Amino acid sequence: MFFNDLKQTRGKIYISNDWCKGCGFCVQFCPKGVLDTSPEYNAKGYHPPYVKNPDACHDCMFCQMICPEFSIYVIKEEATNKGETNK
Amino acid sequence: MSKKRTGVFVCHCGTNIAATVDVAKVAKEMAGEDTVAFTKEYVYMCSEPGQESVVQAIKDNKLDSVVVTCCSPNLHEKTFRDNATRAGINNFTCEIANIREQCSWVHNDKAKGTEKAIKISRSVVRRVNRNQPLDAIAVNVTRRAMVIGGGVAGIQAALDIANAGVEVVLVEKQATIGGRMLQLSETFPTLDCSQCVLSPKMVEVKRHPKIKLMTYSEVQELTGSVGNFQVKALKKPTFVDPDKCKLCDECTAVCPVVVPNEYELNLTARRAIYIPYAQAIPASFTLDESVCLGLNPIVCGKCKDVCEADAINYDMRPETVTEDVGAIVVATGFDLYGQENMGELGGGKIEDVLDGLQFERLCSASGATKGHILRPSDHTEPKNVVFIQCVGSRDPAKHCAYCSKICCMYTAKHAQLYKHHVPDGRAYVFYIDIRSGGKGYEEFVQRTMEDNDTLYLRGRVSRLYRHNGKVRVLGTDTLSGQNVEIDADMVVLALAMVPSKGTTEIAKVLKIGRDKDGFLAEAHPKLKPVESVTAGIYLAGAAQAPKDIPETVAQAGAAAAKVIALLSQATLSRPPLIARVRRSHCTGCGMCVDACPFIAIRLENGKAVVNEALCEGCGSCSATCLRAAIDVKNVTQLQIYEMIEACLAV
Repeated sequence: MFFNDLKQTRGKIYISNDWCKGCGFCVQFCPKGVLDTSPEYNAKGYHPPYVKNPDACHDCMFCQMICPEFSIYVIKEEATNKGETNK
Repeated sequence: MSKKRTGVFVCHCGTNIAATVDVAKVAKEMAGEDTVAFTKEYVYMCSEPGQESVVQAIKDNKLDSVVVTCCSPNLHEKTFRDNATRAGINNFTCEIANIREQCSWVHNDKAKGTEKAIKISRSVVRRVNRNQPLDAIAVNVTRRAMVIGGGVAGIQAALDIANAGVEVVLVEKQATIGGRMLQLSETFPTLDCSQCVLSPKMVEVKRHPKIKLMTYSEVQELTGSVGNFQVKALKKPTFVDPDKCKLCDECTAVCPVVVPNEYELNLTARRAIYIPYAQAIPASFTLDESVCLGLNPIVCGKCKDVCEADAINYDMRPETVTEDVGAIVVATGFDLYGQENMGELGGGKIEDVLDGLQFERLCSASGATKGHILRPSDHTEPKNVVFIQCVGSRDPAKHCAYCSKICCMYTAKHAQLYKHHVPDGRAYVFYIDIRSGGKGYEEFVQRTMEDNDTLYLRGRVSRLYRHNGKVRVLGTDTLSGQNVEIDADMVVLALAMVPSKGTTEIAKVLKIGRDKDGFLAEAHPKLKPVESVTAGIYLAGAAQAPKDIPETVAQAGAAAAKVIALLSQATLSRPPLIARVRRSHCTGCGMCVDACPFIAIRLENGKAVVNEALCEGCGSCSATCLRAAIDVKNVTQLQIYEMIEACLAV
């Protein structure tokens, strides 16, 4: 526990597998390398992403912004004193 | 070539040589050499009468070359070459045969030692037969200096050099200067505040017209030699323009990244954009590229959005700067031996076991807890604290063999500071013995024991472990002969000082030697304590050996004095022992060009040409050449061949 009580903002990532068409943007552009391509197929026959490294998510929501199919979104998991304002 | 008239002077070096080498026999054997016209043995050849006798013998016997068989040429080559000059012969016809370091000191058997000394001496006598008279090369001096490391040693050295009117480039790896001393709370034995003492000097560095400050920069490459170094330094981007930054702190409020703060020894957290301390110089924020979400305004541009001064620039790029300097001071400091090495003391896994620097940050008014001593685990005030000395030091079997020198004193200081903060607390110190040599140091330790009611227990601690929310300390008190078991709220380890990571790196870049413990090696332990083995590179502070602040400041001042003395000369003379091409033999294959580490050889009209200003005389070219077309003056292949022959007694 840090003496100045700073805590890292964390996000929880939700993926709507069947909406995904496997473009891989979210995997490619996540600045913390949280996501990876799943070996599974979705209903459309694409490989959707999966959350490989959930603890590394900083809740920047870039995956949500960049997804062309609206199939991924992030909900803030842990509020901190500051720094939690989303764009 | 007319026959040489060589004089051989055999030194006893007291008993250093004479105990293992029959010096009379060496002199007698040398007298039998064809070219030797004079021999003499003397108890201390380097003494005034000894030196005078050399000069006199050269004059009286019309000697044209001299061999002194004595200690290492590092010590007395210059002494005897100066005597050759005084006697009116060329100084490069004088050579040293090292029969001390390379013979008497490393052997016991007198018969065999004598035999080896004779071989060494004979080989050098044969070598001087073919020595040419040479003149030293005069080179201009760049009147600028570089100081590497911005701790108290580097700051002091930079200020002293700059105050003498010489321009200084101060290179610091971190985002601020100040180093380890800025992390300390109070200093022994006077308990004056470390930051109060240091920050005026830091401001002076910042404002000094003769000091160019390069923070967040690393030295990458060194070329050239004494008087004319070229240093390539990488200036890492801070992504914040220090001239525009108003220190409003709005950026840290919005930065979404939280990482441990290394300036507070991980006791607190910081954002990706941060300022190390309120007193940081330069006073500006730094954006840590390695943890930022990617310097991409689409992903996260929160800091840039809120910066009213528009100081944040994501497009800053690393910049390589080349500085021409005449001399370099290396002051790269120390780290603490890692707690992870101390398995029996928790291995860094017990939260309330701290190292000395972390405890400093707890005591510091500007530190993690604003000067309240609190336990990291539950943020409560510890009511009994165990301090353990010699952790990792003086343990040749497992850890560092040397004494870290300052731990006795800073542990006494820690105990006093703790008692001042928590008057009803109990402080225990485990020690092996107390080393408090220094002005006012012993009195300080006595005050800790008596006035501050600290219990000193003589013995080692065998184990630390978590027990009912406390840390159980198992140790012994060897004075009462009893085992001791203390349930401590907090344990502070006085870990050994080791050379900093930067010191290890810089030694490789500058190609300067390190000692067996990894500290930077001085040129001579007694007489050249601030010089490195490389001419023109000087050492200061804990990068050379563990030392306290007064010693560090003294050494930094000494290094500065050496730099000023060097740079106050109009020209420097370089030894002329450089490569020479025999054009008739050179086929222009270019192998020497590739072998030269100093880029001193180029091909011109199909022949190798040596740039005399760059050649260091290392001999790599000569060793590579298949046709013996390139030689180092006075160390030619023929000379080496004849020396080997002499050693093999063919």
